[in-house]
Amino acid sequence: MTKVRITEYLDIALDSEHWCCNRCGHALGSARENYKHGCLVAERALEEVHPPLVEGGSYSFTPDSRYCRLVEFYCPNCGTMLENEYLPPGHPLTHEIELDIDALKRRHGVSA
Amino acid sequence: MSGIAYTRDHEVVQRLRPEPMTEAEIAAQALIDDVEFDIYKHKMHMIALEGKETTMKLGASTAMRWGDVAFGIFTAQGDLAVCATGIYHHAVLGQLPLKYIVKHWVNEPSVGVRDGDSFFYNDPFYGGVHNADMGLAVPVFHEGRLMCFIGAAVHTGEAGGTEPGGTCNTAKTKYDEGLLVPPIKIGENYQLREDILNMFAAMTRDARTMILDIKARLAAARIAQRRVLEVIDDKGPDFFIGALRRILTQTGEAARRRVAELNDGVYRQPRFLDTVGTDPGLTKINLTVIKKGDRITMDFENSSPLVEDRPINSFFQGILGLSCVYYCGWLFHDLPANNGLLEAIDWRFPDDAMVNAKGDASTSLAPLVQTCFTQGIFLAGARMTYSYDSSRSVAAWFSGFAIPTFGGLNQYGEGVADITPEINATGCGARPDMDGVNAAGAFFATMSDCSDVEATEADRPFLYTFRNFFNNSYGHGAHRGGSGVGFGLMVHDTQKFMLGSMGGGSRFPTTLGLFGGYAVPPVFVRTVMNSNLKELLAHSDARLPHNLAEVMAPDNPEQGDCQDNDVSMVVKPFNDGDTYYVAIGGGGGYGDPLERDPRSVLKDLRENLVSHWAARNIYRIAYDEASLRLDEDATRARRLAAREERKRRGKSYDEFARGWATQSPPKEALRYFGAWPNPRDGMAPPAARVVNG
Repeated sequence: MTKVRITEYLDIALDSEHWCCNRCGHALGSARENYKHGCLVAERALEEVHPPLVEGGSYSFTPDSRYCRLVEFYCPNCGTMLENEYLPPGHPLTHEIELDIDALKRRHGVSA
Repeated sequence: MSGIAYTRDHEVVQRLRPEPMTEAEIAAQALIDDVEFDIYKHKMHMIALEGKETTMKLGASTAMRWGDVAFGIFTAQGDLAVCATGIYHHAVLGQLPLKYIVKHWVNEPSVGVRDGDSFFYNDPFYGGVHNADMGLAVPVFHEGRLMCFIGAAVHTGEAGGTEPGGTCNTAKTKYDEGLLVPPIKIGENYQLREDILNMFAAMTRDARTMILDIKARLAAARIAQRRVLEVIDDKGPDFFIGALRRILTQTGEAARRRVAELNDGVYRQPRFLDTVGTDPGLTKINLTVIKKGDRITMDFENSSPLVEDRPINSFFQGILGLSCVYYCGWLFHDLPANNGLLEAIDWRFPDDAMVNAKGDASTSLAPLVQTCFTQGIFLAGARMTYSYDSSRSVAAWFSGFAIPTFGGLNQYGEGVADITPEINATGCGARPDMDGVNAAGAFFATMSDCSDVEATEADRPFLYTFRNFFNNSYGHGAHRGGSGVGFGLMVHDTQKFMLGSMGGGSRFPTTLGLFGGYAVPPVFVRTVMNSNLKELLAHSDARLPHNLAEVMAPDNPEQGDCQDNDVSMVVKPFNDGDTYYVAIGGGGGYGDPLERDPRSVLKDLRENLVSHWAARNIYRIAYDEASLRLDEDATRARRLAAREERKRRGKSYDEFARGWATQSPPKEALRYFGAWPNPRDGMAPPAARVVNG
């Protein structure tokens, strides 16, 4: 099976056209779709990542939850955080990598 | 005046790519031997580098002294073929004023372009960024024939307007921004026009700096002119013009070959800003990067509309210019920095957008809009290039500026207005193989420096109470972002000194991590009026805060009228002894923090570059706080437990998305956003106007 490294945590298996977790090999869904569809997704409390250094102030080094939320994407098998997004609450999650799979297969000599 | 008279020229700013070759340039190609061409390229680059260094040595403004300089050699048509700079946006924007001069003034009898002339410009419509970026260029003639131009673009930190320091948070239209000069002749027969200099001095707050900076640019250009004429004498004029043009051609060809190596696809990175200058509000820059064959297209459809009556807009050319911070510095890092690179880049901007300002709209905070966009193209670019060369993938760095802007009388009673240099002390984004470099510089000013505090204190009425690393200034990750710095300023020996801040990211972090790395925390400004700090200093009180964390601590002995302010802070008067504190952000994190080598966390703890809170709660390591000895088994167990926590916490994508979609920011946060969540929904006409593509 031909696997191509796409990012730090994502491979694509060209024969089966699947996204895979680079760390554990878990299949994350069709490479023609958003890999995030195959992730576990969670919103984190901002204070758990960016703790306030000022008690009770309107500015505290913690993002303002009215403006910003933190969403994390995990591999369902090994629990690696594959990516995260800082978004306004409710803003659509980003389809950040949409590869031309046919062109990728041609580049690596795999028949479409 | 030829072309459009007495208004901004929208045609010339479209000509960002190299002009077609002239007949003389085409004919000259046959004269150019490859080896001689390489020698020539090196020589020309050395001339430009000398020009950059000379400009810095002679300049007076903060930015000019510490490296915010681009020095270049332009073709006779105005293309910037050779550029020495770490300010890569100038490498593609610096040509627009020259093309304006060629178009409008060469054949204009009342102006003309002659040997000994010098031209000045700072209208950001032609420079692309903001009016604090000012340029000067001179034509170079050989036996009566125009051979090239030489010029320097430099940030002079004061440009008039409603606030000092080159940016105006309160600007509502361009008329509030101060000096906006389209290319104008300011010198003839090797002499500057004193009447024109006098006018510039009258329209800005720091006359000495304004005039010294102009003379520094000119002096450096004249030295470079002598060097260029030596090259022309040595190589011959035809070789010279042909080879100058060949640099651009080769750059474009090499850029297209590089792009062809990348995976075809679509890469998206929406960006969000949380301020419009004087008040908070969300706006969106919707970046989509389309890579196909040997072309990259940047598309901005569904970005927020033009923000009326506020300065948070940018000209499209400025956005393109800032994209070259990424292209020149990372994707094409081994190619010449010139506008030939744009042969591989296309762009599409919608009309009536904050990234495509028109009319009299203010663009005073364009640097903030542009850096916000640029951090996005670093992230989209990282995803586009990892498969080709992972070393090109880097998290975003810098922060949303957090520049102290100031104006008033200094300790000698002289008028000063400028910025302080700490934007050149931000930390780099983390990379696949290393942490970001601490206090490395600004990502758009890679050859700049933050100076010694003593140099700044020498002619500014500040005393730095401290300036050092701040361990809450970067994003965590398997590799952490480089640390930025925190610092404190105490105003002294003056009264009613105006001090503010330009920037964004007090609510929504501007600098994001990559591949699971976290963002740089928000930044804000703390001010203390009627502070007792001078008294504490007089008594050598050992409890004085020595870093930003101690400033924020409950046991900080400093007392006074304390206020925390948005990092976009309109100037207000400071008196002797009042204090000002801010953090300059570091870099975003790279990769899952649970993959960080525990020994790196312990090293950071020893150097106070990470807090114990983060070591325990982000990196999940187990260790003895007194000895900093690692418990490897317990660390392994804690990290395994953290992964299991994630799996319990996480929902399927569809289940999460259903709940997530029911939320939105409050209405007051969306005043400037456009339609939620796609800003241009319902706007007419629906199709993007293709600016170039």
